Amino acid sequence: MINVFKKFLNLFFKDLFKEKGQVKLGLYGPPNGGKTTLANKICKDWIGEEMGRTSKIAHETREVQIKEQITIKRDGKELTFSLVDTPGIATKIDYEEFIRAGMNETEAKTRAKEATKGVIDAIKWLDDMDCVIVVLDGTKDPYTQVNITIIGNLEARKIPVLLVANKVDLKKADIKHVRAAFPQYEVIGISAKTGEGVDAFYEKLFELRNKALKNKR
Amino acid sequence: MPHQCVKCGAFYGSGSDEILNGCTKCGGKLFFFVKKGKEELFAEQRKADLTSHDREQIERDVYDLIGDEIDRDMPVVLDLESIRILKPGQYELDLVHLFHEKQPLVYKLEDGKYMVDLIESFKKLRKEK
Repeated sequence: MINVFKKFLNLFFKDLFKEKGQVKLGLYGPPNGGKTTLANKICKDWIGEEMGRTSKIAHETREVQIKEQITIKRDGKELTFSLVDTPGIATKIDYEEFIRAGMNETEAKTRAKEATKGVIDAIKWLDDMDCVIVVLDGTKDPYTQVNITIIGNLEARKIPVLLVANKVDLKKADIKHVRAAFPQYEVIGISAKTGEGVDAFYEKLFELRNKALKNKR
Repeated sequence: MPHQCVKCGAFYGSGSDEILNGCTKCGGKLFFFVKKGKEELFAEQRKADLTSHDREQIERDVYDLIGDEIDRDMPVVLDLESIRILKPGQYELDLVHLFHEKQPLVYKLEDGKYMVDLIESFKKLRKEK
């Protein structure tokens, strides 16, 4: 009888943890919003290593990157997830922009091609996500086709979303503007670079995970 | 409906042997689907906009974008549009199309010239079944 009870407990906890471990958290957004900087911040804080390379030139991340089994601990609570960093989504990719940033023509054209493939891959991966953080550049106009299309599609697919207005350490950042653009969503202001607002962001991840698990059931 | 070879611009009718076996002039396996009556317009545009080097580059880029899964010896006919390649290194992406789950993944190379990612489209079809 005790064995049966033990078996039941094992199965129950195994399923519980398995379910938690299976949550895939995607970072989506336009290029240069700070997705990889945020991914690096999360990874450094909780597993002690960085996830990817960042650059001032747009489209530095051109392949989907995954870090499995990241566990965040807060006030006795635990949250385990896989973090998926995706290439920036854009409507136009032009190699001349990269040439202006100092690349030669061949490098620039290759980067443009890889960035285009990156957009396709990022969109393909969307169906695998349990929840998504849309990382916006808080210093830029949020009313763009890219932002609206991403957020609209997440809503249509019923994927729980958290909006992050990044770069609040910069004077030009305007969270109110981002909030006004997407009033139906919660917007968290952070600086992935300096760590400002990141504590509140981690707290929100628990809520996002709970919404994702609810969807999965 | 006619089809135009991506590489050299030659036109072939629907169901022609060239579409199944490759272009007789240049051996190309990629064909644009062209709406009836627009052949001349597209032929002119292509001559003006792109050099033969550009066209070859675009062909290579499209194969790279599709990935290694596609058999390069098989002919590919192009349909709807999601990505427009203006010239090598310049891309316009139609996000609404790309995000639409049931749309096949398609590349558009100039007006009226398109490419479908057949592998992805078939995967989607299988999923739907």
